[in-house]
Amino acid sequence: MSESKGSAELLIEGVGKRFGDVVALDRVSLRVAKGELLTILGPSGSGKTTLLKVVAGFETPDGGSVKVGGAEITSLPPAKRDIGMVFQNYALFPHLTVKANVAFPLEMRNVGRAEIEKRVSEALAMVELAGYEARLPRQLSGGQQQRVALARAIVFNPRLLLLDEPFGALDRKLRETMQLEVRRLQRRLGLTTIFITHDQEEALVLSDRIAVMNKGAIQQVATTTEIYEHPANDFVADFVGESNIFHGTVSAPGTVALDGGGSVKVTSDKPVGTKVGVLMRPERFGATGANLFAGEVIESVYLGTSFKLRLALEGSRELLVRQPARGTLPAAGSRATVGIEPDAIHVF
Amino acid sequence: MDIKRRHVVSLMGGAAAVGVAGRAVAQAEPPKPAQIVVNHSGGSMGTAMRKAFFNGFEKKYGIRVVETSPVDFGKLRAMVDSGNVEWDLTEIGGQDAIRAGKANLLEKIDTKVVDRSKYPPTAQNPNVFASSVYTTIIGYRTDVFKGGNHPKSWADWWDVKKFPGARSMRNHPTDNLEFALLADGVPKDKLYPIDFDRAFKKLDQIKPHVNVWWSTGQQPAQLLLDKEVVLATGWNGRFYDIIKKGAPVEIEWGEGALKQGSFAIPRGAKNPYWANKMLAELAIPQQQAVYASELGYPGLNLESLNFVDAKVKPYLPTAYLDKQFWISDEWYAENGTKAAELWNAWMLKKS
Amino acid sequence: MFSSRNGFWPALPALVLLFAFFLFPVVRMLGFSVEGGTFDWYAKALGQGLYIRVLWNTFEIALLVTLFCLLLGYPLGFLMATTTPGWATLGFIFVLLPLWTSVLVRTYAWMVLLGRNGVFNRLLVEYGITSDPIPMLHNFTGVLIGMVHVLLPYMVLPIYGAVRKVDPAIPAAAAGLGASSWRIFWRIWLPLTLNGVFAGCVLVFILSLGFYITPALLGGGRVIMIAVLIEQQVREALNWPFAAALSAVLLVATFLVYTIAQRFSQPEPAR
Repeated sequence: MSESKGSAELLIEGVGKRFGDVVALDRVSLRVAKGELLTILGPSGSGKTTLLKVVAGFETPDGGSVKVGGAEITSLPPAKRDIGMVFQNYALFPHLTVKANVAFPLEMRNVGRAEIEKRVSEALAMVELAGYEARLPRQLSGGQQQRVALARAIVFNPRLLLLDEPFGALDRKLRETMQLEVRRLQRRLGLTTIFITHDQEEALVLSDRIAVMNKGAIQQVATTTEIYEHPANDFVADFVGESNIFHGTVSAPGTVALDGGGSVKVTSDKPVGTKVGVLMRPERFGATGANLFAGEVIESVYLGTSFKLRLALEGSRELLVRQPARGTLPAAGSRATVGIEPDAIHVF
Repeated sequence: MDIKRRHVVSLMGGAAAVGVAGRAVAQAEPPKPAQIVVNHSGGSMGTAMRKAFFNGFEKKYGIRVVETSPVDFGKLRAMVDSGNVEWDLTEIGGQDAIRAGKANLLEKIDTKVVDRSKYPPTAQNPNVFASSVYTTIIGYRTDVFKGGNHPKSWADWWDVKKFPGARSMRNHPTDNLEFALLADGVPKDKLYPIDFDRAFKKLDQIKPHVNVWWSTGQQPAQLLLDKEVVLATGWNGRFYDIIKKGAPVEIEWGEGALKQGSFAIPRGAKNPYWANKMLAELAIPQQQAVYASELGYPGLNLESLNFVDAKVKPYLPTAYLDKQFWISDEWYAENGTKAAELWNAWMLKKS
Repeated sequence: MFSSRNGFWPALPALVLLFAFFLFPVVRMLGFSVEGGTFDWYAKALGQGLYIRVLWNTFEIALLVTLFCLLLGYPLGFLMATTTPGWATLGFIFVLLPLWTSVLVRTYAWMVLLGRNGVFNRLLVEYGITSDPIPMLHNFTGVLIGMVHVLLPYMVLPIYGAVRKVDPAIPAAAAGLGASSWRIFWRIWLPLTLNGVFAGCVLVFILSLGFYITPALLGGGRVIMIAVLIEQQVREALNWPFAAALSAVLLVATFLVYTIAQRFSQPEPAR
């Protein structure tokens, strides 16, 4: 097997996969640029893991193609794809030392002894595990195992790096550290990376771009800010971040009449009569604004940096609001009024 | 004969002493137990015994007969030694019976209860009841050896030029040592004590022609049926069974090795009186005839031959007693271990 | 400390049983073997060529049976552990069938199949593969076939268990890292299932040592195993001290083999 040619572009075109009656992938197309970190975000069962398996070669798609660096790999076995992968539970070889684990992909490529020594040391240094060479995986902490898995996945200069929910088993603090470390390493090595997660916060922290998946189809592919500020549909708006989503009809230019009664001023130029969704992020509300909402506080929580309020509006609708923690926390049962500016409202 | 008589006399003395006590008891028969336990080798033999003897016994006395198996001398010894004797009556191998008698593991048979007057003198052992006769003889395929042209003696058996074909013999010194000596020209009444060297030397000659050394009684019949071999030594009852069912197999009785099946009462048995009553049942010629017709193993009550069907008679070894010889249980009781060891070593020898 | 104290009491019934049904009889047996304060029976067991040769034969057969069980049992156990539940169940039925069948029925079934005029030989001759029947029965081959058949489950089950215990992501990871199927087997599956292999081998080997009905029936009497001689001493010769001495020799030899095998079964991790 030849030495890997290094990081490359990934192109997925019209990939479909069915398991019996279940459509796991519905003609998915996706392009990941060389050196880019793209996150596939979706709930469990959305097809994201199947897509990853298709890319890694553990599943054969029913149709479509997968290309890396312009070369078709759709029917190549995993061993011939030169793709580094970090598994959910790391899948370290429990009977091999840290060093042997990291050396494994190099040995499989018949790299010379001296070269292996050198590259394993480099890789371990990169994940800050120098000195742990002789340990067995079970003698390491979760975070350390994670680093070994990462070192093993990058040591052979793979064309792609796939990360399958790698931080799920770590505690919050460690997870944040590892996220930043992975991001740093990925940038430094310029590795084309696909990251799979169901955690939208993690996706926002790590990604260049995010592909949101649901029911086997990609809902939206965009930069993190695009996804957050301008979601393409209800699902994306709801799945990424906290949100207040209402539906209505454009009643006049710049005005949407909401289905439950009332109307909001927006900056959208959608023609009159269009059925639209209206997204208002909780943190975009202030004390005043062009659009005012009054209601009874049914829940109020102090979160350190912010207050989180839930207001009961007329027409049995609810509004989630976050405000900087200043002054006193409005008591549940009291009445409150909040406002939002038209340009803070996303219409889709 | 002289020795025999003295034996009988001393036995009579013993019996007289027992008899006095016995008569005192006989006034009032011992109470009937709910059941007695008879241990035997099981299988088709158990089925035949139930049909010929046990059912009648149960009906006659209202005592249930519980059957156990297999026959195990080691277990018998352990039972008697520990004083916890589970069996009232047990089948026992010929040489084991001799050894058990010597080791004082058996009760004497009550000749007042068990009538052995019609039994040959060889079957009058004070501790052992001879229940049946069986013999190791030659079975042959009738489609291979036709028109009476089959091995009729052990010299013939050894003559592989005149009677070619795969053979099967028992994986045991008993029978085979005798057969070898007979083949080598030793007369029937000069077999014992066995000359091991001579016997094994003769066995060397037949060894390459024996395809299978059998270890269970069913094997030789099966081997003949499957034509795995064309000649096999075996117990007459097993051949009788497949012949009855129409297999192309016949029996040659010439120079067969006779043995007796035996029953004995373990010392310390819980119901010795009723065990003797059971032996009395086993001694009834009509019942022995029923048993013989089932299995081909006749009883030693020589009257029993009068009660079997004419078609069955040719398959009973008691019809050919003079053509055959008796295996000496006494000799094997003394030399069995040595014989087994030499046999194993001979078996392991290459070629 | 805490765990060892916790661990003892629940294990007590098992320990009592072990003592009553294993240790005590073994000690009694050893007692028998030196009855009268002499080691004569050991001298006879070890000094007489017959017993040493049979013991050696027994180990040789046990080793071969273990080897063939491993060669057949590993792929079988592996397939059963990795296939769909339906096929796995079918596999279990076939593998366990011999355990539910009486030794005589099983053995006679082999006779029907392997005999001179048996099914296999008829097919071979009929299709002109051989002109004369191949002797597969009443010899060493027959004994091997019969013993491997009945002991196979003891090999398959531990291997099946060991394979099932391996996280399927691990071999997948190896494939993703560039390992061919062959190398995945040698570098990943085999070391990770070695415990099962060892357990299977020990079970099959030790059970093989005690066989005597199958070798007697399928070996045509030519294959003698030590259990046959021990049984002869117990039941026919009634020489229990000698039987005990033979058993003790067998026990010690078995322990030796076990200890040596265990050394090899737990290799140091690769560095």
